[in-house]
Amino acid sequence: MGIADRYAKVDRDVLAAMKRPGRVYLAGLAFTATLVVIGGALWAYQIRSGLGVAGYTHPVNWAIYITNFVFWVGIAHSGTLISAVLYLFRARYRTSFNRAAEAMTVFALMVAGLFPLIHLGRSWVFYYLIPYPTQRQLWVNFRSPLVWDVFAVGTYFTVSLVFFYVGMIPDFAAAKQHVAGIRKRIYTVLSLGWQGTQKEWRHYGMLYLFLAAFATPLVASVHSVVSWDFAMSIVPGWHTTIFAPYFVAGAILSGTAMVITLVVPLRKAMNLHEYITDDHFESIAKILLFTSLIVTYAYIVEFGLASYGENVFEKEAFRYRALGEFRYLTWVMLFCNSLVPLTLFAKRLRRNITFLLVVSLLVNVGMWLERFVIIVTSLAHDFDPYVWGTYRPTYVEVGISLGSFGLFFMLYLLFVKNLPVLSISEIKEHL
Amino acid sequence: MMAFLEKKWSLAVLIAAAAALMALVSLTPAPGRGGSLLLAFLFFITVVEGCIAAAAAGATVNARWVGSVRKELLSVTPLLLVASFLLLLLIPFVDTYPWAGKQGIWLRKDFFIGRNLAFLLLAYVTARRFAAAPADGEGTKSRAAWYLLVFVVSQSLAAFDLVMSLEYPWISALLGGYFFIEAIYAGFAVSALLCLRRSGTPPADHAHGSRSDLSDLSILMFGFSLMWAGLFFAQFLTIWYGNLPEEVGFLAKRLSASPLRELCVAVLFLLFFLPFPALLSTRAKSNPYVVSAAALSILSGILVERFVFLAPVVRFSAVALAIDFACLLLLFVAVVYKGSRGASLDA
Amino acid sequence: MAGPMIFEEKEKFLERLRGLVREGVPGEKIRVITPFGVPEVEEILPRGRSKVRFFALVGAASGTVTGFAFTILTSLSWPLIVGGKPVVSLPPFLIIAFALTILFGALSTFAGFLLLSRLPNLRGIRSGEEFGNSFVILIEDGERR
Repeated sequence: MGIADRYAKVDRDVLAAMKRPGRVYLAGLAFTATLVVIGGALWAYQIRSGLGVAGYTHPVNWAIYITNFVFWVGIAHSGTLISAVLYLFRARYRTSFNRAAEAMTVFALMVAGLFPLIHLGRSWVFYYLIPYPTQRQLWVNFRSPLVWDVFAVGTYFTVSLVFFYVGMIPDFAAAKQHVAGIRKRIYTVLSLGWQGTQKEWRHYGMLYLFLAAFATPLVASVHSVVSWDFAMSIVPGWHTTIFAPYFVAGAILSGTAMVITLVVPLRKAMNLHEYITDDHFESIAKILLFTSLIVTYAYIVEFGLASYGENVFEKEAFRYRALGEFRYLTWVMLFCNSLVPLTLFAKRLRRNITFLLVVSLLVNVGMWLERFVIIVTSLAHDFDPYVWGTYRPTYVEVGISLGSFGLFFMLYLLFVKNLPVLSISEIKEHL
Repeated sequence: MMAFLEKKWSLAVLIAAAAALMALVSLTPAPGRGGSLLLAFLFFITVVEGCIAAAAAGATVNARWVGSVRKELLSVTPLLLVASFLLLLLIPFVDTYPWAGKQGIWLRKDFFIGRNLAFLLLAYVTARRFAAAPADGEGTKSRAAWYLLVFVVSQSLAAFDLVMSLEYPWISALLGGYFFIEAIYAGFAVSALLCLRRSGTPPADHAHGSRSDLSDLSILMFGFSLMWAGLFFAQFLTIWYGNLPEEVGFLAKRLSASPLRELCVAVLFLLFFLPFPALLSTRAKSNPYVVSAAALSILSGILVERFVFLAPVVRFSAVALAIDFACLLLLFVAVVYKGSRGASLDA
Repeated sequence: MAGPMIFEEKEKFLERLRGLVREGVPGEKIRVITPFGVPEVEEILPRGRSKVRFFALVGAASGTVTGFAFTILTSLSWPLIVGGKPVVSLPPFLIIAFALTILFGALSTFAGFLLLSRLPNLRGIRSGEEFGNSFVILIEDGERR
């Protein structure tokens, strides 16, 4: 096949994905949209009735909403890792994943950003966190980790969105030549009239390099800032210096698992086996294994240091985590995050796509539970025994969480049918 | 001197002589001997384990730059045995640790020395197996991975046991990770220096010039300077913000008075504020003067930092420190020299 | 402007380009259009490194300065002691400055790219000539080759 035909085939294969949706797709879209509507309705109910209906009471005031926030921000990180960090390392294998990964980042951040609003209860006072000159002559408290979150996650969302869009400019220009009607108009406008001249490519190359260079420190810093929401407190189980790298590794772990969960069915449904090969999945699996080892190290150090020293509160907090009311969740978490990924040391298992899919689902569950366990066990059981309590989620929280998952997958389904799912120009470049 | 090093047994003789001298110095009953040896030991294992770890990390990801300095980096493997011997010399010093009076399950003298010694020896064994494997052989990656696992544990133990328990009951959960990242950081700095040394002589067995390898190493040093700063800040911010008396005493002791306060600032400069801007531009990354200055800055930064960790709690003796450092530096240079000549090493 | 020279293969395109430069056609008059970035074109028709990097530097520097200035000045304008921390407490302010460095740097780099590439290109949007996956050489000023 001549090179020109191969270029044309890339165009055809990617654009074939955007043809008329089949029944399975529409069913999936309908299902996720229903979840979103249910979640939205429950949120409206919560705004009307207060956070009590979500099970929030003394002493556990942060639970599933914050878990979801940290979970979704974490998922966003591995998208940036794949597109920005691997670009700086000149890893060729990233070109088949990076558009899907960037989309995952943008949508995960959109979903994550909802949770601080939901968790406010009185969601309309969110503007308290935005630093603008007010007639109250008051500025935000820059010493608070929650304000750091606003800046860090806000920066991350903006930069990721710019990176996502910039990557697609040449692809919109390529795609517009194969579609017609309103879609052609939209792609033409979105491509900004890109022609592919030498000047454009020269500036584009430097822009992409700098965006990747700017996005890379965000991978580490944003989730460090999110972890400092907890580490800046003095609650035992939360106040520890290891949280920053531990959470970043955990974020990459859950993110790579979500990439596998998303891309395995995507590849099958859109017949992209030529572009997304088993080698690519093996590389992602290695990243998953590596970050799982870091997370395991952090577990060992945390549990070990809890019994070291003379801090009885720390000792008790970890005893409760391992053997207390939520012990089953802790054990499932340890199994899913530390033990299951160890199987990926075997090359045969790394290349078994079904096995990878199962591992990724287990890791997703395990990482969600990890955030839940950290947050709830430390709050339920902190310094003073007279305020020890418990926590039970209600249907409102569960419904809103399911709605958030529905929102993420719905956005992803819409992306898959309307925007180019592979980075066309980069694939052609490496053919 | 060079002729002496050519001889097969010269390394063994040097090691024996250095070990004997250091034993003599540290075992004489004078104040500060043990502390000086501890400082020298900590810096030494950071650099030695870090060099091998840098090579191992490069092997697991098929990095290009490893090829040019692999032999030299792996030639420091016998020094891990020297380090094990030094650990034994530190046994009397362990009695001065604050927990020495009330020993528990984890902090008891025999287990304390035993586990550190065990992992140092294990590091030697795994490093030797890794060094014996060919550069792109079948099992090389897994041998490198084994060494890295042992390295992580060995450095974490050095951090938690040897350094953190000096300030018992102070805890910083990140200290273990901090130490092994610093070790790899030092490994890259040494690799850069070795690469520069080699670019005087033409590269023997690889296609690319050492210029691009140097550039790759500079990028790694640049990236690790950021990572180091991040890990440092994670610890500092958490301790500063919580302001808990049992934690903040550690910082207060080191930041409240000169000269330690100035040394702390110096550490920040040597490990971040100098290498980061220096290695920022693409041109600087392949400039030998800038790169060697950055590498030396990094290595001295790690040394000063170890000093700052130990200084408020441990007594030093300038003479012992000088002798220990001179011996270890001499040994390091000798093994690397021998390694670069490709002579076989019998430890 | 003469007709465009269209090539389906990268090697032939580069060969012709080198040929044109050898024949003495001035570099400024040659325009190329490619479906993806081809580094060899920069070697044949060197134009110097892109100036986008200055936008990045200026943006990032202004982000750092803004981050510190904004946090310090607003804290001093309503000096509340919160959580026992000093009014001007640099470790938290460093985090804000870091975030703004990256934000301003990225946005200004993007702005610089749009400016220097003259995008959005309204003529391109309205009348786009489409070359598909071909590599195209255009020579200005009516010289037929």
